[in-house]
Amino acid sequence: MPELLKIDINRLYYGSNILLENARLKVNSGERILIVGATGTGKSSLLNTLNLMNQSYDGSIFFHGKKLQDYRPEHLRSRICMVMQEPYLEGNTVQEALDAPLQYHSIKQRQLPNRNQDIAQLMQAFQLPISYLQQSPEKLSGGEKQRIALIRALQLKPEVLLLDEISSALDQGTSGIISDCIFNNYQGTVIAISHDPLWQDRWQRIWKLEQGRISSSVKGA
Amino acid sequence: MDISYISLLFAALLLLYPLLIFSHLKLKLSKQLFSAFARMAIQLAIIGLWLQFVFKQMNLWLSLFWMLVMIANAVFTLKGRLKFQPRILLPILIYSLGATSIIIMPWLLILVIKPQPVFSPIYAIPVYGMVLSNSMNSCALALERFESGLSDNWKAYYTRLSLGASLWEAALPPFKKAMQTSLMPQLLTIASIGVVSLPGMMTGQILGGASPLVAIKYQMMIMISIFSGVTLTDYLAIRLYLAKRFDMYHLPIA
Repeated sequence: MPELLKIDINRLYYGSNILLENARLKVNSGERILIVGATGTGKSSLLNTLNLMNQSYDGSIFFHGKKLQDYRPEHLRSRICMVMQEPYLEGNTVQEALDAPLQYHSIKQRQLPNRNQDIAQLMQAFQLPISYLQQSPEKLSGGEKQRIALIRALQLKPEVLLLDEISSALDQGTSGIISDCIFNNYQGTVIAISHDPLWQDRWQRIWKLEQGRISSSVKGA
Repeated sequence: MDISYISLLFAALLLLYPLLIFSHLKLKLSKQLFSAFARMAIQLAIIGLWLQFVFKQMNLWLSLFWMLVMIANAVFTLKGRLKFQPRILLPILIYSLGATSIIIMPWLLILVIKPQPVFSPIYAIPVYGMVLSNSMNSCALALERFESGLSDNWKAYYTRLSLGASLWEAALPPFKKAMQTSLMPQLLTIASIGVVSLPGMMTGQILGGASPLVAIKYQMMIMISIFSGVTLTDYLAIRLYLAKRFDMYHLPIA
């Protein structure tokens, strides 16, 4: 499998504290990686380095062999999309929330044929009725909002999807649906943080952060 | 018709009403009232004497010098009032108020009022004072609203970034909101002029003996200039603020 991301971090900081040392990792195209570790070990800080949202580190990260900093931030982030812990949906209706990123220059440059069809399929896959498109995002439950936030990111067909504890506020059932949907409807690379034991059983590669070190293991290996 | 100093004292007696109300409500504003009005009286007395001197000189350089003093005063007043990002505000305020002044004032003096000489202080200074003070107040409101629009909702800002928005695209919603909030009161004032209120400048001119028809033309000119100046200042200030508030990766600089 072709190498998509190469992480070569000597030190990752939070303020003046060192969170992580000597993180040397590779991510292949299409891999699904779960980051685990106790609170405060630097999971989110690490994830945020991958889309230029965190610059507090010594070292380099490469995407398709090119340093992250050599990309325009908006272009990189349109290819490495992130879904956050607390979803924010913009607009008066779910449809408007889904349309919002299409106004961005970095997305406009991209061909997104059959987008309406994709949305319909994703809504169905994520077990949301199509009539929700006309609903106000305010009226949705936490789990529904999170699923819309995922659909909003997936419709952009990113090469990498970063998920920052998206299931932390959800019950096990919903969390499972979301995990399944991501596996079944997205062929790209996923790097996720989750505390959910259900997720840990399903993901093939695990990055474990412990006492300032990171270890990578393949499930079942 | 002139007002005698004794008559002015009678006007000051009207302050008894607010003082009585303050004491009735046990509002601790009396001290502030005295200090505010004392400051006003001293400042106006000094400025009155100074302006009388400047107006007599009819000197371009003196007019320009005084306009510089006015803008410096506006910049430092604003800087004192805005309680956020003190490190970056000074150049933003200088550039935005300065650029507005350079755009609006020559236009008004050369194409509209056409006094002889052009920078005749009797026109330039009062008109500039009105454009500048309104721009200053509106700029404070616009910057405050923009900053609070960002900091009350970082989640929205970061969500836009994480889906590929540029700095401009991610900050546009709070930018639009800040402009709307700062310009709406101006438009409401403009729409109510003549019906609800006779503005200060027009009242002053009429009381000073000018014909109401001349006074309304001046008033229209000044309202247009103020609105244009305010919009320019707010826009420039927020744009410059945007450039200084975020780094090259569009992340806020602490």
